[in-house]
Amino acid sequence: MRILLIEDDPSAADYVARGLSENGHVCDVLADGTDGLFHATRESYDVLVVDRMIPGLDGLSLVRALRAAGRKTPVLFLTALGGIDDRVEGLEAGADDYLTKPFAFAELLARVNALARRPPVQQVKTTLRVADLELDLMARQARRAGQPIDLLPKEFTLLEVLMRNEGRVVTRTMLLERVWDFHFDPKTSVVETHISRLRAKIDRPFDLALLHTVKNAGYSIHAPR
Amino acid sequence: MRPADLWRHSSFRLALGVTLFILVTLMFASGVGYGLMQSQLAARQDARLTEIFTAIEQTGLEADEADMIEALTARIMASPDRSTAYLLQDQTGRVLAGNIAEVVLPAGLSTVPAARLGVPTDYPYRMFAGSAGPYTLTVGLTNADLVDLEEIVLGAFGWASLFAFLVTIASSVALAVRVQKRLTDSEAAVFRLAQGDLTARLPISTRGDDLDRISQAINASLARLAALVEAMRQVSTDIAHDLRTPLYRLRIHIEEAARKAASGSDVGDDLAAAIAQSEAIDQTFAALLRIAQIEAGARREKFAPVDLTALLANVVDIYSDVADDAGQTLRCFSAAPAWVMGDRELLTQLFANLIENAIRHCPATTAITCTVRGLGACVTALVSDDGPGIPAADHDKVLRRLHRLEKSRTSEGSGLGLALVKAVADLHSATLTLKDAQPGLCVEVAFAQVSATS
Repeated sequence: MRILLIEDDPSAADYVARGLSENGHVCDVLADGTDGLFHATRESYDVLVVDRMIPGLDGLSLVRALRAAGRKTPVLFLTALGGIDDRVEGLEAGADDYLTKPFAFAELLARVNALARRPPVQQVKTTLRVADLELDLMARQARRAGQPIDLLPKEFTLLEVLMRNEGRVVTRTMLLERVWDFHFDPKTSVVETHISRLRAKIDRPFDLALLHTVKNAGYSIHAPR
Repeated sequence: MRPADLWRHSSFRLALGVTLFILVTLMFASGVGYGLMQSQLAARQDARLTEIFTAIEQTGLEADEADMIEALTARIMASPDRSTAYLLQDQTGRVLAGNIAEVVLPAGLSTVPAARLGVPTDYPYRMFAGSAGPYTLTVGLTNADLVDLEEIVLGAFGWASLFAFLVTIASSVALAVRVQKRLTDSEAAVFRLAQGDLTARLPISTRGDDLDRISQAINASLARLAALVEAMRQVSTDIAHDLRTPLYRLRIHIEEAARKAASGSDVGDDLAAAIAQSEAIDQTFAALLRIAQIEAGARREKFAPVDLTALLANVVDIYSDVADDAGQTLRCFSAAPAWVMGDRELLTQLFANLIENAIRHCPATTAITCTVRGLGACVTALVSDDGPGIPAADHDKVLRRLHRLEKSRTSEGSGLGLALVKAVADLHSATLTLKDAQPGLCVEVAFAQVSATS
C-alpha cells in the first residue's frame, strides 16, 4: 500500500515511516503542508497520514483543499490536540479518522489498514459471514454452525463492528467509539468484559476460536489460519 | 488631598463649574429684579411729586398770594428736615416762600444735587418745576429713601451671592473630596491589581449608590477571577508534583532496562512496563486537558435536550457486566423520561466515571444503585453504593484535581475522575453533592428540567 506521511517532527516521522515499511507498505515522508498538498493531488496514494500542525499549510487547510480538489484519498489525522471539539473539527474538514498523540504504533497501523480497505461505497450487506459464524443484520440474529446464539443489543453491535472488519485489527479505542459511543478512556475493563462475554457465546461452545486478541493492539475476528 | 491636587480632580471641577453657573444665574436674576424695583420706586416718587405740585398749583389758582404763601409755609413747617423742598417765585423771580436756595430749573422733572439747593445732605433731590397760575413753583423730594433702599437691596444681593458662593464652593469641595477619596481608593486598588495582587478590592460605602453597584460587580468578577487563578496555580503545582512519581517510575524501568541490556539480558518486560507508565502519564494529561476544555465552556453551545433516564440506563447496561465480574451488582431504578439540556457525550462520561469509581473503590458484594428522579423543575440523578464510602470531611477534597484519598498514590487512577465529573456538572449548571449513604457513598447530580421534546 502506498502511504504519504506529512509530519514535520523528524524522529516521529522516521518512527512511523519505518514501522509502516516494516509492515509492507511504501511510505513517502514530507515535512511541509504545501509540498504535501502538491504531492497528494498529483500522485496516487492509498492513505494520507497528516499531522495537524505542520509548517507551510496546516493539516486542516490541507485536507479542506484536498477535498475541494475532489480527491477522496482517505486521510488519518495525527494530532496532539485531543479534545472532542478538535476531533470534530478535523472530521468535518474532511478527514476520515483521527489519532491523538502519543499513540501506540499498533493503533496507527490498524487504523491505516481499516481506512485503506474501507470499501469506496458501503455495500449493502444484510448478512455478515466469518467461517461458520453468521450475522443476519435484518433479523438481528447470530448463528454459528446453524445454531442460533442469543446476543444482547450491545453484543450484537460489537460483533457487527468486528465482522465488518473481518481479518483486520479493531483497536480498543475504535470499539469504544463505535460500539459504546465512548469518547474517553474508561478506567475499568469495559471492553475486555464485553469481549469476554461475547467470546463465551460465540467461541467457547465451539471447537475453533474466531475472535482473537492482538496483543497491544486490539481484537480481530477471522477464520483460523 | 492637597489643595493643588483639587483642581486636577474632575469631581471638583464639575462642582466648581456648577457653582459658577449658579452664581451667574443668581446675579442675572438679581440684576433684573433690582432694575424692575428701581424703576417702580422712581415712578412712584415722580407720581407723588406731581401730586404735590398739582395740589399747590390748585391752591394758587383759587387763592390770592397771601393764602398761597401761607399754605406753602404750612407745608414747609411740616417738613423741618427739608425732605420735601418748596420754592415759590413770582413773575419777576422774587422768592415768595421756600426752604431751599434760589435756583432756576427747566420745567418738568429733573434730578438735582442737594448742594445746588443749599441743603447740607449727600442725597440728590428729584425736582418738579412749572408755572402755577402767575407764579413759578418748584417742588422736590429727597431721593434719600430710594438711594438707601438701593444700597440695602444691593447689599443684600451681594451678601446673598457671597453666601451662596461660599456654601456651594464648600459643598463642592466636600463632595469632590468625598468622591475623590473613593476614586483614589479605587485607583489604589486597581494599581494593586495591576501589580498582580488579586486580593485587592474596590471600596464599597454603605450608601448603595451607582458607584457602589459598579464596584460590587467588579469585586464579584475579581473574586471569580482570583478563584480561577488560584485554581490554575493549584493545578500547575499539583501537576508538577503528581507527575514526578510516574516520571520517576518510568526512569526506574528505563534504567533497569539499560542495566540489563548492558549485561545482555532480556529487557522486554522492563520496556513494556515503561510503555505502560508513559501511557499512564499520557492519560493524566489527556484527562487534565479534557477538564480544561470542559471548563472553557465552549461545548455549552452544542447543548441539546437529553433524556437522562435513557442515558443513565445505557451506561448502567454497559457497566453491569463489568460490575458483575467484580462480584458487585449494578442496577438502575428509573422509569419516566427526564429531559435536561446537555451534551450527551459528556453526560455519558460523567455517569461512566461515577459508576467506574464505585466499581473500582468498592469491594465485592457491593450493590451499586443508579436512580433518576424528576422533582418539579429539577432532575436528580443518584449513583450510590453500600461500600466503604468517603469520610464527610473529605467530600470537598475529592472533587479537586489530582486528589486521591490514599496519600501513597499506589492505587491506580489519576485522581481526576471526580474533578472531571465536577467540571461536567458545572458546565451543565448542575449541583454535585456527595452524601453519606449509611453505609457507602451517594453522589447526587441535580439538573434543571426542561419540558419533554420529541
